[in-house]
Amino acid sequence: MSARRWPAMLLWIAMAVSLVGCSNTVAVDVGYPEAGVNRATLASVRSRRVEIRPVTDRRTDTAGIGVQPDEKKKLVVTSRPVTDIVRDALVAELQRNGHVVVPDRSDLMIAADVDEFAFDAVAARSSAQYVGKVALALTVTDRQSGKIVFTRRYVGIKRQNADRDATHAARDVMDAALARAMHDLATDAELAHVFGDSRPDIQRI
Amino acid sequence: MKHAVAVLLVAILAALSGCASSAPARQASRPFDDVRRLTVVVSGESQFAVLEHSAEPGRTFDALLKWSPYGTLLKPIADLVHQAINWLVASDRKADAAGDLRDISPPLVVATAFEETLRASGRFDEVRTARREPAGQDRRRDDVVLRLTVPAWGLVRVREGDPDLLSAFADVRAELVALETGTVLWKNDEDVTDPERLPLKSFTGDRQFTRQRLIDVLQRAGHRLGSELLYARSAGR
Repeated sequence: MSARRWPAMLLWIAMAVSLVGCSNTVAVDVGYPEAGVNRATLASVRSRRVEIRPVTDRRTDTAGIGVQPDEKKKLVVTSRPVTDIVRDALVAELQRNGHVVVPDRSDLMIAADVDEFAFDAVAARSSAQYVGKVALALTVTDRQSGKIVFTRRYVGIKRQNADRDATHAARDVMDAALARAMHDLATDAELAHVFGDSRPDIQRI
Repeated sequence: MKHAVAVLLVAILAALSGCASSAPARQASRPFDDVRRLTVVVSGESQFAVLEHSAEPGRTFDALLKWSPYGTLLKPIADLVHQAINWLVASDRKADAAGDLRDISPPLVVATAFEETLRASGRFDEVRTARREPAGQDRRRDDVVLRLTVPAWGLVRVREGDPDLLSAFADVRAELVALETGTVLWKNDEDVTDPERLPLKSFTGDRQFTRQRLIDVLQRAGHRLGSELLYARSAGR
């Protein structure tokens, strides 16, 4: 082989290796579509300027969100980072409920930690039960006083039976689990109360 | 030629600006937005179950079928046998896990937690639970009822492993109905699973613990149902 052909050959080998690597994972587009976001209890209080701190990923296993229960047992990953998915969901929910998400000079600061964002699949003969779970820890800080005024853990879980090789099932249960966690957040009367009046003397922790 | 390109560009820009300026669709008001008094009517049987979703007992049949020339013909029968074996295995486990639960009314526990969630929201003036449909004076007073059933509850295998892990679960059905017209205003089927996952032995070995986990998941179901109803309502009404 001529010396000129070596770079092309190396490039081809690199591409082949990366394709083989890709074939061992399945990427799913988990998300919280804005079209489905409603004005809820969080909209019943005055509009606040809210800063969302960078979402932290506290999962013990960050390699993927589960394993497809078919013969190939492919690792399932999200097409976007889990922290971005959660942040986008929070932004969508806050904005739809009339609050303004700002980069600084806010009334309130929200910190969100992702404790769990995964699904399990229990396989039967031809079908499988998919269980998606999203657990978020939310902390609200009053910016002026610097005091934490609210902490709560929201857990969304969705169970669904589907074919073992159903490619949509993992995404469906994760979408629904995330939506359930966000709906619990948006209808949380205590969180709404804190948004309405975040004085430190009414701490709800 | 230049004119054609310019016209094309203008057309694309117009189309794009049209998309950008379109306002997000306003949430239409729901027919139950103004409901502030609600009666929850609980009814129906609640089946206690231990759901395995297991392929293990059927594996021997799979192995036999592979070698049988009639494998394709026998497969539907094998599926039935497999289901029956799973059912029998689950029956034993169900009997172990279901002790001391006879005094629990799943729909009532769900309804109580559901009431709590609606009251805490401040969006309802009155929420009460009844065991039967309102009649007479009550029917004239109540415009809307929420019919609530818990068709299934128990334990479900949520993770394969050694040991497998199970969680308490409750499947809840709710229908918000306008009494005068019989119109279903809102409907929700909620599969609720306890976040805690434990080996079967944890449930069969400590009945008091199992009882508490099952009550917790029923309460969680009530709160979840309340959240979904509140979320479905428009705000500020």
